[in-house]
Amino acid sequence: MHVVQPQSASLGSNRLSRRDVLALAALGAVAGAPTIARAAAPAGQLTWGIHVSLTPTWFDPAETLGLITPYMVLYALHDAMVKPMPGKLQSPSLAESWIASEDGLSYSFVIRKEAKFHNGDPVTAEDVKFSFQRYKGAAHALMQSQVAEIETPDPQHVTFKLKKPWPDFLTFYSSASGAGWIVPKKYVEKVGDEGFKKAPIGAGPYKFVSFKPGIELVLEAFDGYWRKTPAVKRLVMKMIPDETTRLAALKQGEVDIAYSIRGELAEDLRKTPGLALKPVVLQGPNWLYFPEQWDPKSPWSKLKVRQAANLAIDREGMSKALFLGYCKVTNNAVVPYTFEYYWQPPAAEHDPEKAKKLLAEAGYPNGFDAGLMYCDSSYANMAEVSVDNLTAIGITIKLQPVERAGFFAGYSNKKYAKGVIQGASAAFGNAATRMASFVAKGGAFCYGSYPDIDALYPQQADETDPKKRAALLDKMQQLVYEKAMYVPIWQLAFLNGIGPRVGESSFGQIPGFAYTAPFEDITIKA
Amino acid sequence: MKRYILRRAGYCALSLFLLSLTIFFFVRVTGDPATLLVEPGASRADIAAIHHQFGLDRPLLVQYWLFMVNLFHGDFGQSFYYQVPVLQLYLSRLPNSLLLAAVAMGLSLLIGIPSGILASVHVGRFWDSFGKVFSLLGLSLPSFWVGLVLILVFSVYLGWLPSSGAGTPLHLIMPAFALGWYFAASHMRLTRSSMLEVLGSEYIKLARLKGLPQSLVIAKHAFKNALIPVLTLAGINLVIMVNVAVVVETVFAWPGIGRLLYEGIAFRDFPVVQGVVLMGGAMIVVVNLLVDILYAVIDPRIRLEK
Amino acid sequence: MSTPADVISLPARAPRSTFWSSLRRAQFPLIPTLILGVITFVAIFANQLAPHNPEVGSLVARFRPPFWMAKGSTEYLLGTDQLGRDVLSRLIFGARISLVVGFTAVIFAGVIGTALGIISGYLGSWADQVIMRITDTWLALPALTFAIFLAAIVGPSMWNIVIILGLTYWTRYARVIRGEVLSLKERDFVKLAIVAGCSKWTIMRRHLLPNVINTAVVLGSLMLGVVIIAEASLSFLGVGVPPPEPAWGLMLSDGKQGLMVGYWWLTVFPGCCIMLMVLSANLIGDWLRVKLDPQLRQL
Repeated sequence: MHVVQPQSASLGSNRLSRRDVLALAALGAVAGAPTIARAAAPAGQLTWGIHVSLTPTWFDPAETLGLITPYMVLYALHDAMVKPMPGKLQSPSLAESWIASEDGLSYSFVIRKEAKFHNGDPVTAEDVKFSFQRYKGAAHALMQSQVAEIETPDPQHVTFKLKKPWPDFLTFYSSASGAGWIVPKKYVEKVGDEGFKKAPIGAGPYKFVSFKPGIELVLEAFDGYWRKTPAVKRLVMKMIPDETTRLAALKQGEVDIAYSIRGELAEDLRKTPGLALKPVVLQGPNWLYFPEQWDPKSPWSKLKVRQAANLAIDREGMSKALFLGYCKVTNNAVVPYTFEYYWQPPAAEHDPEKAKKLLAEAGYPNGFDAGLMYCDSSYANMAEVSVDNLTAIGITIKLQPVERAGFFAGYSNKKYAKGVIQGASAAFGNAATRMASFVAKGGAFCYGSYPDIDALYPQQADETDPKKRAALLDKMQQLVYEKAMYVPIWQLAFLNGIGPRVGESSFGQIPGFAYTAPFEDITIKA
Repeated sequence: MKRYILRRAGYCALSLFLLSLTIFFFVRVTGDPATLLVEPGASRADIAAIHHQFGLDRPLLVQYWLFMVNLFHGDFGQSFYYQVPVLQLYLSRLPNSLLLAAVAMGLSLLIGIPSGILASVHVGRFWDSFGKVFSLLGLSLPSFWVGLVLILVFSVYLGWLPSSGAGTPLHLIMPAFALGWYFAASHMRLTRSSMLEVLGSEYIKLARLKGLPQSLVIAKHAFKNALIPVLTLAGINLVIMVNVAVVVETVFAWPGIGRLLYEGIAFRDFPVVQGVVLMGGAMIVVVNLLVDILYAVIDPRIRLEK
Repeated sequence: MSTPADVISLPARAPRSTFWSSLRRAQFPLIPTLILGVITFVAIFANQLAPHNPEVGSLVARFRPPFWMAKGSTEYLLGTDQLGRDVLSRLIFGARISLVVGFTAVIFAGVIGTALGIISGYLGSWADQVIMRITDTWLALPALTFAIFLAAIVGPSMWNIVIILGLTYWTRYARVIRGEVLSLKERDFVKLAIVAGCSKWTIMRRHLLPNVINTAVVLGSLMLGVVIIAEASLSFLGVGVPPPEPAWGLMLSDGKQGLMVGYWWLTVFPGCCIMLMVLSANLIGDWLRVKLDPQLRQL
């Protein structure tokens, strides 16, 4: 059994112990025992000011991307068999319990009897099978290729039969994909995919009322929800893209909850009576990446140069300046600390003098010109500080912010082969999925790879013993650390604000999740 | 006369056609929307599937042909991001933009015309300079900054007005002012010079000779005639206003088409961008056409020109 | 009170005499010219004048207010921004960017627009039609959105912004210059040149161009303000001159969050600079217009 020791006490109480599937199966432990007793009728309304524009694609779990943003809405409208909940990364939700077979080839779920859709229909095995088969979002090819067939012996039981043992099945089913979020088969077949997105029906705590694209989404409490009746009757999510305006709306009481308030606005929020700042550490590490490190002619190919860059970054200072100190410096560049198979590197160091010495030892006593640093323009302020830090030790570099669309395209299309890249990822998964995308050969964002790390990847993919697998993944992460393949910056803190009317906001209940969830726990102050 | 109109209309159609061509190919150069709609690191198959869903895998000319054919049926396609017909999206936001522009125009005329009249009457002296500077000030300050200061003063410190969104007339005041002040300068200038010209004309001299008091001269005779070019300019500016309001719309979270376009570009939502630009272009072209016709009606020399 | 006899016996001047003479009385805009001069001077000698490096800041010195306020110091005369950079130094170097971007974009637009305007106006027939259609199409594309568009394609950088702004605003020139050329065409000196056998290009270059320069310059002075504001708006939308360049528009956009918290110096100073520069350009442009060609009141 692989147990993670998280770093110093994090915000809120996010100490987790990891249980693997087999152990869980024996217990079928349930987080948050379903309260059969119905609470008082839902009342009142809360308004959100959100920073992105909602798209109907997010109302349909079948199209869920690997980003966390769709989950902002998914947790309200829909429910999953197994999903991340407070205290547990793989928490039984629509599934009351499950068992994995000894040979790892099949997973059997028992569906909760009281689980219902918004139209009153019960959640059945047919719906689970249907939801899986229609899923076309992140990792769907992978999932659908591993599953041989799905058996539905009766409405309460469903069994997934795999082609070969796949230890990550539950990780993918519960968080790294939307395949486990269940939609009503009869309804979807009746209205079609397009109709479904216009009037979605799910099994979550809130029902869809209306949607004005780019303006607002209105939801209403579903009092048939199995876990508990939501306390707040109406939820309105308003789109306010400009941060200053969003904060103004919060101060004015036009919204009760505001997502993403950064920098000095966050300080102002903190000082304003009646408002509260709610920071959440995301499962989104930020890093600096050196695509040139495999080019023997480039200074970045020298280990000492990369290590020097690592020592130059003033993480604490940056965090304090830009995020009021809430970012979490884990020193693991690519894998968030809340993930399965996370390896904890030694603590990060900030030592510009030592950095300069290392540079001199590597043959660059006067530093060098590193060209351009590419970054997502929404994180340009972070990149500016990194540029400053590097310049301070003699590495001159010029910032090239690229707007989000172009940035990710360029990053994965290998357009940024010369220079340095500041990147980040908040995608779901575990350490293995991160290795796949960012470290191992052939990964979407890999500009090169190291044979010793590459050799380990297929080994851990086929390893069914979780202890041995953990050891392999630890070794991979350790090699990444020793080779200074990346310079880890931190795990981003998402700063949110709540107004005086909010009782329980649900911020930070689910580790690594940026937004308010579970929705049914949200309350208005009496 | 009819020939003139037909000729102008023909040119308009040509312009619009060129516009559609330009915008169609332009958007496709800006990037690939599929990369935005999938997770970073999705497989080629996932991206190819999205291309197919949006019809982006067909040859460019075929796409263009389909686009034009649909256009003639009034179908601007479906937004990639919002998955609703573009026309529906556009029409739901257009009234907001028109409302904002109309009120902003009203404010701008309210500032521009009186200061222009004052300036023309007191030429070269204090009110002339004052009026000039005040409206030029509006021209010199970025509208988003004006908007932010207004929010801070009237919304956060004084609490008199709501900070964002739309709904009540109170929501309109600040965005309209931020948008309108910018145009006040050109209206003021035009009013002033137009008034000056009229005031210097024989016709006004005659009125003065008749012994009419100055204020009556201005109010009854000069004003009306001076107003014509100003209103024409206002008409043209109105359309421009609708299209450049994106900055003000972003600051105030005003649900107009400026923001729709901006988001469309950010998301590489081709149909939205094409639709909004074409509609905007059509508006400008049509207004220009109407103005040209109006001028031709007023001044026969224009329509007889080679 | 003047009698009808007096009025009739007045010298027969053009009826617009009072109108024109009142305008000619408009004085040389001394202050605006001085302001622009100071800005230019500062831009040229930025390296010598700026007390600090505009692009590197120190995180411990963030949000220091101007020196006359409590917690301010003479080390950072006008205060510091969110990354601890000296505001005064950024304003000084920003002058360089504003001037360069402003003038280059205006000249760029002017060259294209004037050339096309002359060609279109003089050659007439199909060349005229083609250019006018293109101009119409371009005008139908709203300027700011076109700029956002281009910025999304080519990415932000100072020179890209110059190109973008130039490509966005040339149409203003083309229209006006063409109109002028149309009337100039009928004048004697042009007709003489044709009779003398000058080639089309010579006429355009030697005879028409010098006469439209005035208009182009006036237009340029008015466009300068427009371009600077456009740059600020582009920065606000995130597609302008990229950080950490100290462009005034970018400073305005960066500082807007500070406005709510009370860090007014982050936006008021750059805002004043923009305003002074644009206002001066406009006032000079107004004066130029009156001086050089009073016919242009329709602008």
